[in-house]
Amino acid sequence: MIQRKNAAGRIHLLVARVVVYTILIFLSALCLFSFYLLIVNASRSNAQLQAGFSLLPQGNFFTNLKNAWNDASINIPRGVLNSFLVAGLTAVLTTYFSALTAYGIHAYTFRGKKAVFTCIMAVMMIPPQVSAVGFVQLMTKLGMTNSFLPLILPGIAAPVVFFYMKQYLESVLPMEIVEAARCDGSSEFSTFNRIVLPIMKPALAVQLIFSFVASWNNYFIPALLLDKAEMKTVPIMIAQLRSADYSKFDMGKVYMFILLAILPVLIVYIFLSRSIIKGVTAGSVKG
Amino acid sequence: MAKAALLRSHRMAYVTLKNVKKIYPGKVVAVQDFNLEIRDKEFVVLVGPSGCGKSTTLRMIAGLEDITEGDLFIGEERMNDVAPKDRDIAMVFQNYALYPHMTVYENMAFALKLRRAPKAEIDKKVREAAEILDITSYLDRKPKALSGGQRQRVAIGRAIVREPQVFLMDEPLSNLDAKLRNQMRAEIIKLRHRIDTTFVYVTHDQTEAMTLGDRIVIMKDGFIQQIGTPQEVFNHPANVFVAGFIGSPQMNLFDAQLRKDDEKYFVEVAGASFALSERIAAKLRRDSEGEVIVGIRPEHIRICAQEGDDTMSAAVEVSEMMGSEIHLHLRAQDKEIVLRVNTTELPEAYRAGIPYGTQLHFTFPGDLLHLFDKESQKNLIGE
Repeated sequence: MIQRKNAAGRIHLLVARVVVYTILIFLSALCLFSFYLLIVNASRSNAQLQAGFSLLPQGNFFTNLKNAWNDASINIPRGVLNSFLVAGLTAVLTTYFSALTAYGIHAYTFRGKKAVFTCIMAVMMIPPQVSAVGFVQLMTKLGMTNSFLPLILPGIAAPVVFFYMKQYLESVLPMEIVEAARCDGSSEFSTFNRIVLPIMKPALAVQLIFSFVASWNNYFIPALLLDKAEMKTVPIMIAQLRSADYSKFDMGKVYMFILLAILPVLIVYIFLSRSIIKGVTAGSVKG
Repeated sequence: MAKAALLRSHRMAYVTLKNVKKIYPGKVVAVQDFNLEIRDKEFVVLVGPSGCGKSTTLRMIAGLEDITEGDLFIGEERMNDVAPKDRDIAMVFQNYALYPHMTVYENMAFALKLRRAPKAEIDKKVREAAEILDITSYLDRKPKALSGGQRQRVAIGRAIVREPQVFLMDEPLSNLDAKLRNQMRAEIIKLRHRIDTTFVYVTHDQTEAMTLGDRIVIMKDGFIQQIGTPQEVFNHPANVFVAGFIGSPQMNLFDAQLRKDDEKYFVEVAGASFALSERIAAKLRRDSEGEVIVGIRPEHIRICAQEGDDTMSAAVEVSEMMGSEIHLHLRAQDKEIVLRVNTTELPEAYRAGIPYGTQLHFTFPGDLLHLFDKESQKNLIGE
C-alpha cells in the first residue's frame, strides 16, 4: 500500500517536473530567440534581409562587420566608449545616491520624512517625456548641449531605484547593525559606506545592471542634446545608420552594430550577476 | 592574568541617571523619573516585563535614544548630547548585530580600525579576546557560518576588544536555547571577573537578573519598582509587583485580613488563621487591622499531616516533577496555590509525583510571610 503510494507520488513529481521544465525551456527559448535572430541577421546581406525572413545564418558576417566598422558616418569604438562612459557613470551615481537616499529615509527619523518620501514617489509618476522639453531648454540655456553631464548627473535622482533600495533595506537591514556600528565609533557616513553598502550588494548589483542597460539604451534625451559626431552614443548611431539615405542603407550593417552594441551589456551582466544571487546578509542577525 | 590586566579598564566608570525621562512622539511615556547611581565596576541588571522601559533606559545610556528630560553622567561628564561613539561604551545586542559581510576577525577589529589603532595592537587584542571567549578557531568565518551561541560570543568579543568604560548588554541571551543560555550566563559571570568594568545588563528573565547582578533594578510601566541586591529584592520585595516578578515559581499572593489579638498579629486567608512571628510583627509598618495582601513563596509552604486552625486544605490539580523537587498546583476556593516540595521530604509513595485530586493540608510559617497594603500594594514589613 505504502509502496503504491510512493510510486504514485513519484509519477506525480515526474509529471510536474516535465511540465515545469517544458514551460521554462519554452520561455528561455522565447527570450533567446531574439538574440539568435539578431546573430542570424547580422550574418545576412542587405539584399538577403530585404528578401525575407530566415532562421539560417548566411556568410556575410565578417563583411557586415567590416562595413559597419569602416562606415565613415559612424565611429563605432567612439560610440561604444561614449555609451560606456555615460551608462557606467549614470549607473554608479544612480545606484549610490539612491541607496544613500533610501538609507536616509529608512534609518533616520526626522520631521517631514513622510512628505519627502511622498514627494519622491510623486516624481516617479512623471514620465521623462513630459519634462524633456523644459530640461532640454534649461540645458541649452546653461550651454550644456554636447556634454555628457546632463545625461549623467540627473541619474542621481532616480525615484524608482530609490524605492527599490528602500524596500530592500527594510527587508535586510536591522537597525541594530547600524547602532552597533555607531557604538563601535563609526561616523554616520562611514557606517553607510562600510556597513550598509556591502549588505546591500545584491540590490546594488541589480540596480547597477538595470540603470546601466536603461542608460545604454537611452535614445530620447541624448538625441536631443548631442549632435557632435564625436559625442554620439550607440543608440544615436544605430538610428543614424537606419535613417541613412537609400544608396547607403545596409540593414546587415545595422544588425551587426546592434550585435556589437549589446556585447558590453552582456559583459556587465555576467560580471554582476554573481553577486545578485549571493545572499550576503544571511546569518547577521537571528532569523 | 596578564591578559586580564590588559583588558582591564582603569578609569572610574560610574554611571548616574538623574530624573531621566523618555517620551516618544505621540506622548508615549517609556521611562519615568529614573534615578540610579551605578558604581564603578558594578554589575547592574535592569529587569522587568516587556514594555517596562528597561531597554529604552539602556539605549539612552548608549546614546541610541535621546533623553527627553533629566541628566546622564558617565564618570564626571554629562553625556546627554554626546554621540554614542564618543561615550566610550560598548553594547551587545539581542540579535547579535554582527556585520554580515565581515569575518569574525574583521567584526572584532572594526572598532579598533576606526580608531586607527596599529595593526599589531589590533591583532593582539582580537586574538586575546577570541581566546577568552574560545572563538579563536572561527576567526576567519563569516557570521552566517556560526551557531547562535558562537555569534553571541563574537558580539561580546567585539565589545571586549574596545575596553569600554561601560559595557551594555541588551538581552544578550534571549535568542539562545535554554542549555546554551545557562552556559553563556556562567561565561558572562566569568567574563565579568576577567574584564572588571561597569556592566549594565537588560533582561526580562529574573533568573539571569538574580544570578548576574550585584544590584537589580526592577521596572514596570517606565517606573523603577525597586533597586536592591538579589537577596534584598527576593527577601524583601518593595511591592506586590516585585514579589510576583522575582522568584520562580512566583510568590503566592492572597487577599487576607490582618487581625490583632492580644498584641499578636494574625492573617486570615480563606478561613485559616496564620500568626505572624514576633520578628515580623515588630517590623510591621501599620498597627490597624484590615485588608491586606499576603504573600508566601512556594518553597516556604509547609505540608501538614493534620488539619488545624492554622492550615488550609486543597486538592492537587497539577503535579510537576522537576527531578529534585515537585511543583504542586493546588486549588482552594478559587485560589491557585503553588507549592515547591523537595522530593526527599515526601513519603516514598509520593516521590514520583502526587496524584490528581489528592487533598493536602498545609500551613504558612509566620516568619516567612510577606504583607502588602491592599491599596498602595507596598510592603508593610519594614526592612
